[in-house]
Amino acid sequence: MSRTDLTALSPLLVVALAAVAVLLLISVRRNHRATATLTLAGLVLGLVSISWAATVTPHQVAPLLIADGYALFYSALVLAAAVVVCLLSFDYLEQRGEQREEFYVLLLLATLGGLVLVGASHFVTLFLGLEILSVAIYVMVAYARSSPLAAETGIKYLVLAGASSAFLVFGMALVYAQTGTLEFRPLVAQLSAIEGSGLALPGMALMLVGVGFKLAVVPFHMWTPEVYQGAPAPVTAFVATVSKGAMFALLLRFFAALGPGEARPLLVVLGLVAMASILAGNLLALLEQNIKRLLAFSSIAHLGYVLVAFLASSAFGDEAVTFYLVAYFVSTLAAFGVVTVLSDNEREAERIEDYRGLFWRRPLLATLMTGALLSLAGIPLTTGFVGKFAVVAAGVEASLWLPVSVLALGSAIGLYYYLRLVVVMLSSLDAGAATESAADSGRTPADPGQTPAWPRAARVGGGAALALGLLALLLLGLGLYPGPLMDVIESSVSPLR
Amino acid sequence: MFDLLALLPTFPLVGFLILMAGSNSLPRRGVVAVGVGSMGLSALLAIAITVNFLSAPPPGQVFEQHLWTWFEIGGLAPGFSLYLDPLSLAMTLVITIVGFLIHVYSAEFMRDDEAFARFFAYMNLFVSLMLMLVLADNLLLLYLGWEGVGMCSFLLIGFWYKKPANGKAAQKAFIVTRVGDTAMAVGLFLLVTQLGTFDIQELGVRATEQWPVGSTMAVVAAALLLGGAIGKSAQLPLHTWLPDAMAGPSPVSALIHAATMVTAGVYLIARTHALFALAPVVLTAVMLVGLLTQLTAGISAVHQRDIKRILAYSTISQLGYMFFALGVSSNGAAINHLMTHACFKATWFLAAGAVIVAVNHEHDIFKMGGLGKKLPALFWAMFFAGCGPFFSKDGILAEVWFSDTGGPLLWLLGLFGVFVTSIYLFRLLFTVFLGPLKNEVHWKPGRAITIPLFILAVGSVIGALVEYPRLLGYHPHSSGIEAAHASPYLHATLGKIAVGVALTGIYVAYRLFVRHRHYDGDEVIVPHIRVPLRNLFADGWGFDRAYRVAFVAPFRSAAHFLRNELIDRGCDAVVAVVQSGHRLIRRTQTGRLRWYTAGIAAGAVLSLGMVLFS
Repeated sequence: MSRTDLTALSPLLVVALAAVAVLLLISVRRNHRATATLTLAGLVLGLVSISWAATVTPHQVAPLLIADGYALFYSALVLAAAVVVCLLSFDYLEQRGEQREEFYVLLLLATLGGLVLVGASHFVTLFLGLEILSVAIYVMVAYARSSPLAAETGIKYLVLAGASSAFLVFGMALVYAQTGTLEFRPLVAQLSAIEGSGLALPGMALMLVGVGFKLAVVPFHMWTPEVYQGAPAPVTAFVATVSKGAMFALLLRFFAALGPGEARPLLVVLGLVAMASILAGNLLALLEQNIKRLLAFSSIAHLGYVLVAFLASSAFGDEAVTFYLVAYFVSTLAAFGVVTVLSDNEREAERIEDYRGLFWRRPLLATLMTGALLSLAGIPLTTGFVGKFAVVAAGVEASLWLPVSVLALGSAIGLYYYLRLVVVMLSSLDAGAATESAADSGRTPADPGQTPAWPRAARVGGGAALALGLLALLLLGLGLYPGPLMDVIESSVSPLR
Repeated sequence: MFDLLALLPTFPLVGFLILMAGSNSLPRRGVVAVGVGSMGLSALLAIAITVNFLSAPPPGQVFEQHLWTWFEIGGLAPGFSLYLDPLSLAMTLVITIVGFLIHVYSAEFMRDDEAFARFFAYMNLFVSLMLMLVLADNLLLLYLGWEGVGMCSFLLIGFWYKKPANGKAAQKAFIVTRVGDTAMAVGLFLLVTQLGTFDIQELGVRATEQWPVGSTMAVVAAALLLGGAIGKSAQLPLHTWLPDAMAGPSPVSALIHAATMVTAGVYLIARTHALFALAPVVLTAVMLVGLLTQLTAGISAVHQRDIKRILAYSTISQLGYMFFALGVSSNGAAINHLMTHACFKATWFLAAGAVIVAVNHEHDIFKMGGLGKKLPALFWAMFFAGCGPFFSKDGILAEVWFSDTGGPLLWLLGLFGVFVTSIYLFRLLFTVFLGPLKNEVHWKPGRAITIPLFILAVGSVIGALVEYPRLLGYHPHSSGIEAAHASPYLHATLGKIAVGVALTGIYVAYRLFVRHRHYDGDEVIVPHIRVPLRNLFADGWGFDRAYRVAFVAPFRSAAHFLRNELIDRGCDAVVAVVQSGHRLIRRTQTGRLRWYTAGIAAGAVLSLGMVLFS
């Protein structure tokens, strides 16, 4: 490996080394604070090393990985999200007894998986990245071992992810059988050379199953509410953002390389998937009483929105996708951040009733939550609005009238449940005596016995406060002043087409 | 020095932010320091800028400050840019100095109010937006201020929102002005699409180049702007909101509904005069609106019993004079009257507020009397302040006589208004302060109330002697002034006649309300006028009733009908469809692993099938 290779891979190497270092630290001495600090340092160092890696871009490392502006932008996004999750996790885990230190190893590994995915230029690295990410997430999802819910969640995710990975690998095999290569560029060249795509197209159609599962789009979405609900809140934030974002980055890279002729049939499938996701996600969220499940359903719809810009298959579409993902990361992390800091060691702050009158008890948190929800709903002045604007503009530019109308319809439905939550937070405390039953969850609801004045969680810890403050700043800042980020995105997606 | 211009609206804006953030935690002393202090800084800065402006005027008497570009789209780039010329300087002085004095007054007047901080927060926000309105160099920023002050007016009229009537009054003010604001917005869009710029000066230049005098486009655009001005300045036929706006605290009436916001329409017409000059028809309309408003509102004022409603009608009438002047292109006289009237009416409103509190929240002037002995400070402040506007009105009348578009007949009608004005003003003064004592006075205004009153009264008296706008360098071209200077003897004679008429009016008021004492029952107002007619006048010529019949009632019944029938049914249907969609699709979330796996498999089959058979 040359020196340049090492430079280009430095973010991955730093995060991998940090994982090893954390493992070693745990074996020497168990100390939650030290472990978390080391993890944070590793992630921040990873972020810093991106600027170092940027000095050699674009650079292909073997046929496996590529470090171009695009990969580095998404790497930064993944790492930044991981930093936020790490900060949120510290206070969350601090309240809970069991072994906490290993969580950070898993977090680092999952982040590493995400980094591999965004830099992949070869099916092998795609699969490797995906599995590093998934295996770490299996454990993270079930991290609260003692609760039966966690075990159930873990098993469900494991089985479904396994099944979808099988489709993915089989699809790859078919593509390989046709083209004889697993590397993106030669593969694409082969595809356009041969008359009729033979086995390659069905292969890619099957690969969409694996991709669709990670993105949680219809009809591969049904795991989302269960996993979102069952996983600890910071893990949910991670699953909702990093794992989906990294997969989407890869999808975009692959389809941008693919010629329009070859991509066409697959885009038709994805168009249907997008519209179904928007409608199903919003309808499912409509009357949901559990916030984590509600956000799960809404994330299905959001991935549908991103797919609309993706379908545009233009440079502007790529920008819109990337900006929307950034907006989605910020808003989702903020929303789950609030859920995380409101949860205590007894249960998570997930019932809608837990948020009644939050404005009068925790004005700052309630304001941030409102900001996050408004951003998800795409209300002006928030970053979500700019993202949605870009997505719609990209869709209109490509004359995707049907998907864009479905998007508008879905957003209108979506407004209802976001605003309903805001209304609940604004309403007075005593008004909520008549609680609607929370029985529409997929499994037996948690013990409905006593509903104490919730949440009782004490102060927000320093790390979480820092993370939430940053998110609040971004939520508004990127909504008011999106120009600079747009410029960065424009230059980083330019290598794609 | 001029570079500090941007700080003028910034001080009160910061004050607003601090007061809103600390509304629960700031002590009253702190609220006063922030709320009044920010205004004080603005007023001082305005004075300093004025001194600088007069001693070392910027080139062309215009100073422009570009702060930042608001947005850029389609070749338009409206900025946060300020434009200081004698006209905006005159407005700025009124807003900051009168505003500051009213804030000082409010510090004592509102002392026992539970929402003390909220009051000053809204007032500060109002001043900031009002300054933005007058200093804006483009129509979009002006419109921001325009709508912003409308919002503050709404918030402050309904300040004591726990009483439902106040909320209703606030809504009425907001909705009625909205009619004008809509016209104005349409006019703004028209100007921008036709002329391709937001910049007010540039608009004037381009309009003059592109549109001949009397062209349809110019007439339509000017008429739409006039619509906005009519709404904001409470002119016929959109004047009905102002008397009800008296539901707000007295300082609010003084600041917003007498001295500043309601004059925004006058300012708008003076500012976009180049456009109005292209539409002589609209200028005639401005004049007629002003004349009719001045007469009808003046007559209504004579028939009111509520002290604040008298002043409200008086304000409408005086604004009518300003429109009258604008209509004959005497912008200088209009702005002069605006400034003098601001001092005068602020004094009267503030004094009226103090009187109302002193007599235990009694509003009916015929239940007051002889207060001159108990509250001499208020009486003398009002008396002196009342003199100023007569002279600025004389200026308007003289120009009407000499102007190309005016003439002796219009002058005569204006003169009748002077007579009416002196009757209703001195009717109020004599009834409340002279005669036998009728009330117990259990509160005396303190220094924070009397000193601002006297400063304002002095401002009004000086306004009788000098022309403020001319002092500041605002003397726009007007045909009337030149003709007046050409025949000084006639000019002087007209002035003497006007003073004579005003004095006659005072004498009549004295005869009717001091000597003859029509103090009780229905005879109180003006004797010898038949009751139905008197009721019509007292009701403000029945506009409210007409609007209720013509607009409110049909709209309400239509809304009622549609709510229960068509539209609501349709909305319910949408809800029902979406909800049943939710219920249907929720069944797919069974929680069963095998079902979810089946979903993945089905997706795979679908995807494969579509690719293979497409």
